[in-house]
Amino acid sequence: MIKITNLEKIYRTEEVETVALNKLSLEVKEGEFVAVMGPSGCGKSTLLNILGLLDDPDAGSFVFNGIEVAKFNERKRADLRKHNIGFVFQSFNLIDELTVFENVELPLIYTGVKSSDRKKRVEEVLDKVQIMHRRNHYPQQLSGGQQQRVAVARAVVNNPKLILADEPTGNLDSSNGNEVMQMLTDLNEQGTTIVMVTHSEHDSRYSHRIIRMLDGQTVLENIMV
Amino acid sequence: MFKNYFKIAFRNLRKNRVYGSINVLGLALSMACCILIFTLVKYHLSFDNFHKNADRIYRFVTEQQRDQISYAPSVPPPFGKAFRTDYDFAEDVARIVTFRNALINIKERNEEKKFKETEGVSYAEPEFFNIFNFPLLQGDKKTALTEPNTAVITEHLAKKYFGTTDVINKTFRYENRDNFKITGVLKDIPSNTDLKSEIYLSWVSLIHSQNDWYTKDDAWGGISTELQCYALLKPNVSIAQVEKLLPAYVTKYRADSKNVHHYKLQPLADVHFDARYNGVMEKRNLWILSFIGLFLIITACVNFINLATAQALKRAKEVGIRKVLGSLRGQLFWQFIAETALITIMATVVAIGLSYLALPSVNEWFKTQMSIHIFSDILMITFLPLLALVVIFLAGSYPGLILSGFRPVSALKGKLSQQHIGGFNTRRTLIVTQFAISLMLIIGMIVITQQMRFAKKSDLGFNKDAIVMIPTGYDSASKATKALQNELAAIPGVQTVSQCSDAPSSQNMWATTIKFDTRTESELFRTSIKAGDDQYLKTFDMQLAAGRNIFPSDSVRELLVNQTLVKKLGLQSPEEALGKKIFFNGDISGTIAGVVKDFHDGSFHEDINATLITTYTDNYNDYAVKINMNKIKSVLPALEKKWNSFHPGKIYEYQFLDEQISEFYETEGMMLKLITAFSLIAIFIGCLGLYGLVSFMAAQKTKEIGIRKVLGSSVAEILWIFGKEFGSLITIAFVVAAPIAWWLMNSWLQDFKYRISIGIGVFVLAIAIILFIAMATVAYQSIKAAMANPVKSLRTE
Repeated sequence: MIKITNLEKIYRTEEVETVALNKLSLEVKEGEFVAVMGPSGCGKSTLLNILGLLDDPDAGSFVFNGIEVAKFNERKRADLRKHNIGFVFQSFNLIDELTVFENVELPLIYTGVKSSDRKKRVEEVLDKVQIMHRRNHYPQQLSGGQQQRVAVARAVVNNPKLILADEPTGNLDSSNGNEVMQMLTDLNEQGTTIVMVTHSEHDSRYSHRIIRMLDGQTVLENIMV
Repeated sequence: MFKNYFKIAFRNLRKNRVYGSINVLGLALSMACCILIFTLVKYHLSFDNFHKNADRIYRFVTEQQRDQISYAPSVPPPFGKAFRTDYDFAEDVARIVTFRNALINIKERNEEKKFKETEGVSYAEPEFFNIFNFPLLQGDKKTALTEPNTAVITEHLAKKYFGTTDVINKTFRYENRDNFKITGVLKDIPSNTDLKSEIYLSWVSLIHSQNDWYTKDDAWGGISTELQCYALLKPNVSIAQVEKLLPAYVTKYRADSKNVHHYKLQPLADVHFDARYNGVMEKRNLWILSFIGLFLIITACVNFINLATAQALKRAKEVGIRKVLGSLRGQLFWQFIAETALITIMATVVAIGLSYLALPSVNEWFKTQMSIHIFSDILMITFLPLLALVVIFLAGSYPGLILSGFRPVSALKGKLSQQHIGGFNTRRTLIVTQFAISLMLIIGMIVITQQMRFAKKSDLGFNKDAIVMIPTGYDSASKATKALQNELAAIPGVQTVSQCSDAPSSQNMWATTIKFDTRTESELFRTSIKAGDDQYLKTFDMQLAAGRNIFPSDSVRELLVNQTLVKKLGLQSPEEALGKKIFFNGDISGTIAGVVKDFHDGSFHEDINATLITTYTDNYNDYAVKINMNKIKSVLPALEKKWNSFHPGKIYEYQFLDEQISEFYETEGMMLKLITAFSLIAIFIGCLGLYGLVSFMAAQKTKEIGIRKVLGSSVAEILWIFGKEFGSLITIAFVVAAPIAWWLMNSWLQDFKYRISIGIGVFVLAIAIILFIAMATVAYQSIKAAMANPVKSLRTE
């Protein structure tokens, strides 16, 4: 599903040049659950942003579902993203001014789903993450665990092929964290590919494969048995 | 999608109430001003455009060329008749003669009612109603004004006089002199016309009146602005075609005159606007007002942009999330435009309310009867959405572009800085723009005020205070007026009484060409003739430069001339003029007894005219009564009582001379009121923005202020951070605004022949006002920030 070759990303300010990804190559197959680990500043998040088409690489190739997307413009990237990729963030990133229902509905609006279908799908997915009873609440009225469940619901409402999770349990206590990890595992078992950045060894054990990064390169791969 | 946009917008507004209120209030104020200005401009542009053939209607006017060119909105009386007979260009030609301040008496069931009609009566040729669209509700326009002593009046006057509109064949008496039978009832005259008469009398009645000069076929010698001549040209006849032939009349009838007439056609559409021909509203003023409206909109939009970009960081996360979920930049841009639209729509509703509230005052200032019809006036229906659209895009585009341009990764991680939201410099530029606009308006306001005060307080060459002007009553025999003059003078508290045509400064003017002494040729310049008796100099406290006052007389024997006349005659000294004769108005002549020091005989817009004062009793229209102001309470009723005893059938009126003179500057007065109002609004809107910005700045600088305080900075030093910032912005704004304002106001002053020069004081005052207001606005927030406990502010970091 994902094949990146010799990917480079360099951040430049006036005086400093930071190499975030250094000729990184990597492959993720459809249906895989991959955890990316490494110390702060090793390039995990940059990798995730590029995989999520939020950022573009300076050099190298990125093939998504057989299409070279490294040189896509913003419109094409947004189009590919909204139909194929779901995101789960550490800090949930829900829009404070929208209710639970409206937050989950948002990706469907951007993909042009009809209003009646939207309602059905949002309710289904809210039911699945067991937050239906909170559908009219605003994010601030929910606990961290509940917020992350809403975020997962939002990530999957469009039935994406790929879910990118950036430390999804980082702001949660262990029981809420486990719940979220179980949700991701369930999704993966239903066929969704998952790439997760994490610091947590515990969380990484949910994955099939762990990629360890240092200074913008992969240094080790562990296959989980 | 849009539902979602508006939902977010609405919830954001609810969350940031102060921000929302500042924006709505600022936009609403400026939009209300725009609605009012639009209504005013539209009202003036609509003048006399409702006549069916308005584009083919013209007024004949005259350019009079002597040593200088002067303009008269009229032609010699026989012109209309001659043009009608000689040429085939016009479908209709009509003359009307209007006498203002008419006295109308109605006698019904032995009860007599008196009415004073300030708009007066117009003697009109029957063709007048073919040219103009003033429909008759009763009577036949073809025959209504063909017989002597017939009249048509408006529905409104019919009700006022008789309590009914069924008034055909009823009669009224005009100036206690002539009876008129009503033969037609006019539909009420709309307010947007310069033809304001509500009483039209048949032209043939004029032939038999004491004003028969207007009907004479040989009266090519002079022009009176009371007469107007209109033509409805045939289709495809051009102005040039007609004007080419008009000099023939000058050759034929005025070959010898030094006052060379050039007759012109003035399109009806220009009548209201051409100040040379007494147009009441110069288009330039409408332009100025429109620009002020635009300024106000810019000011409010600048506020909006400032506050929106200052708030932008708060919205970064939302932008990031939306982009991650697949939103395009365009979609986000439209989302922010939708938010602006919501605010603008709210502001529009408030603005409509405000403009309805303010309209009565504007009508009072401008002496207009404007109305606002939001839903039925097609122009307003077009204007309002257009205005709202302009505001939405002017205010919303920049913040929309900035916000929608955030990179999602940076936006989500809170890594956006001031640079990403257009930087502080953008907002500084905007604030400078706002201050500059306010400063220009303030400078304008100060200059107009100073010029008006200059016109009011300057030495006019006579004393205008404590003088009551009372009309003599036009039909009075001169003996009666002399007797009344003596009785008025005997009232305790009355110092002197003079019979005269008008005050030294007056909007009425009778000007003619004179011949000096033994010179064979008439003089090239025009001379204003004032009728005044031997008490004139004393009453108006005028000074002699040479010679003596004139002696009492019932006819023209002696003259007083002003210094300008002496100069224009080319004499070396005033003394040289004494004892010499002046001939005017054909065969009238008098000997110069004295030379008076120059006085302003018109407004400060005009040069002082060559003027002579003489005992021309035919033109005595007023008593000028100099009174002791300490006894005003007893004098005024006594004057009225005495006057009424001489003129039982008439209505007593009086006016203080200083009030009459201030009417010279009516337009300037109106403009001043409007500019003052708009300046205040511009400043207020600016203050709203400033308040918003300083709140933002205080929040941004919380950490900096905390650290500074921990390191030992005093409150005063912290305040200086704010003071320095806004002080320098105002200084830059001043540098931009001052030269522009100077240039604009200097060209405005060029319209005055006697004017102030714009001194440094104007600018000092303007910047002081702005500094004071800005300080007052930012004080609370800055002091609050400076006084905050550093422990608290650092902990929140």
